[in-house]
Amino acid sequence: MAELYSVKDLETQFHTREGTVHAVNGVSFSLQEGETLGIVGESGCGKSVSMLSTLRLIPQPPGEIVSGEAIFQGRDLLKLSAEELRHVRGGQIGFVFQDPMTSFNPVQTIGKQLMEPLEIHLGMNKKQAWDRAIEMLRMVRIPNPEDRLKDYPHQFSGGMRQRAMIAMALACSPQVLIADEPTTSLDVTIQAQIMDLVTSLRKELGMAIIWITHDLGVVAGLAERVIVMYAGYIVEEARVKDLYAKPEHPYTLGLLRSLPRLDMDEKKRLASIEGVPPVLFKKPKFCPFASRCPYRIEKCLEENPSLMLVGENHKAACWVDTYTGKER
Amino acid sequence: MTQYIVRRLLLMPLTLIGVTLLIFGMLSFLSPAERVSLYVRDIPKNDIVMNSLIERYGLNDPFLVQYYHWLVGQKDASTGEWAGGILRGNFGYSRSANQNIVDLIKRRFPATVELALYSIVPLIGVGTWLGIVAAKNHNNIIDQIARIFGILGYSFPSFVFGLLMLMFFYAKYQIFPPDRLSNWANLVVTGEGFTSYTSLVTIDALLNGRFDIFLDALRHLVLPILTLSYINWALYLRIMRSSMLESMNQDYVVTARAKGVKEKDVVNKHARPNAMIPIVTMSGMTIAGLLSGVTITETIFIYPGIGSAAAAASTQLDVVTILSLVLLTGFILLVANLIVDITYAFLDPRVRLS
Repeated sequence: MAELYSVKDLETQFHTREGTVHAVNGVSFSLQEGETLGIVGESGCGKSVSMLSTLRLIPQPPGEIVSGEAIFQGRDLLKLSAEELRHVRGGQIGFVFQDPMTSFNPVQTIGKQLMEPLEIHLGMNKKQAWDRAIEMLRMVRIPNPEDRLKDYPHQFSGGMRQRAMIAMALACSPQVLIADEPTTSLDVTIQAQIMDLVTSLRKELGMAIIWITHDLGVVAGLAERVIVMYAGYIVEEARVKDLYAKPEHPYTLGLLRSLPRLDMDEKKRLASIEGVPPVLFKKPKFCPFASRCPYRIEKCLEENPSLMLVGENHKAACWVDTYTGKER
Repeated sequence: MTQYIVRRLLLMPLTLIGVTLLIFGMLSFLSPAERVSLYVRDIPKNDIVMNSLIERYGLNDPFLVQYYHWLVGQKDASTGEWAGGILRGNFGYSRSANQNIVDLIKRRFPATVELALYSIVPLIGVGTWLGIVAAKNHNNIIDQIARIFGILGYSFPSFVFGLLMLMFFYAKYQIFPPDRLSNWANLVVTGEGFTSYTSLVTIDALLNGRFDIFLDALRHLVLPILTLSYINWALYLRIMRSSMLESMNQDYVVTARAKGVKEKDVVNKHARPNAMIPIVTMSGMTIAGLLSGVTITETIFIYPGIGSAAAAASTQLDVVTILSLVLLTGFILLVANLIVDITYAFLDPRVRLS
């Protein structure tokens, strides 16, 4: 598989009144054609910000993309002119957002909003865009698409809106679909429907997907490769199978232990990770997870580990081998 | 949509009855003798005449009977003619203006309407535009200048700003005089050969082909318009600015950007229509306010609208005139509210379709 999209050393900061927040600290990853990549982490770990940064969608100011590159089809998205970047957004890279309730413009019809990217990127006229929009709604399995296009967002249910949002993101047949927690605000049955829909659309259209979520269960069902983020750093990267079979980073271990399981003793309490993730006003000189880490050794407080190869296609940023408890 | 408008229209008479009840209720706080002296020019000195007048006008009748008579009028038993009744256009006599109130309104209201018409665009349009400019330049120097400019106007009492304007543009340079027309123009307008089609001087002047009178009328309008606009701009600027900043931070704006919409269209097509909703509410109030007569501004510029008529009536305790003008104001507010509600429905599908 050929490399489609690669991000290197991305760093994003937010300049706030309280000081500079280091939200993304040197994130690098690559995406192959047709691959589904999961990005996992708790709220505020920088997963959404890093994806928004690559398309320069964070508000600037207060946000600032300090360094890094995002190479897509041989061009660095962070250096493109606003006009060139505009044609990548929505045209070649589609975006689905977390909250379908607020992500549509409430005063425009769904149809008008669906037609917009088609007119912008494919130069369609109103009639062509309308027909294509009907086709898209049908593709995401919304019944009576001809009538529903004339509806306003508030006339759609949450699940339907998220389907329409996916239709809008896929309207111009992008090579990459970035989905930023698209199922978080939906209830579980709808969540399953949306995941089924995306899985079948991926087969049909063959686009690559970056799926941002805090739900490890969603990732297991959808992705081929997973990145785990913590405090703006990638702490572990592995194929889904390997990550669940043999998690290497203490944070990933903690996350997996905190998942409820059907075969677990009912009386046992779910394990949790003590403490809260840090807000980084300074780049840490030591491991940002050290204060919450049960495997901590002296070195963790002296030097921040970078990602290192710990197995085949498996990287983790930790000084300790969690299976032996010894320093790597 | 039609159903929505019809429902609003049907509600209007009900509200109007409420307004008239309220106004007539205020009037009934006065004793019958006091009310006789309000309506009669020569106040009777002896009790017998007074009592006969009270009897004749039914001022001792029960409240609802009096209200009915005030609304519909009273049939004279001997002649069979109807007298009074605001529904018949009989509002009474204005002591302060020395004419029938209906004539007073007919003469004064067009002047107020004219001032309101010319003020709407500079007041609301420029204020809103300033708000958009400030929001687009959030926190930089242009934003700061716009806000300081707005706050300055907001802090001026209108009579101070109006007097300053008069001092400069009239006393010193004599470019923009007070009143509605110059003497020579007034003579032409009231003289023969000048047809009054609309009672709005500027429009009549154009219809009569008198461009000089049109310009003269405009010259007189400039200062009141400027005063009304400047003291209100800050309000529109601040509301539009914050409303615009709020909608620029909404998720659908990020969605629009992620779709590849041009930044110009992100602002104009996505953020602005949503940000306009509070402006519509404000506009309804402002327009109703302008149409009910801007008392202070009209008084300072000796502009003969209903605002200055109300001021004159108030200083002379001319209750009958004041109540009639309040009734007119109430009616204007109702209509303005209706228009605002209809505009809402056009702007926001959530209102239209629910």
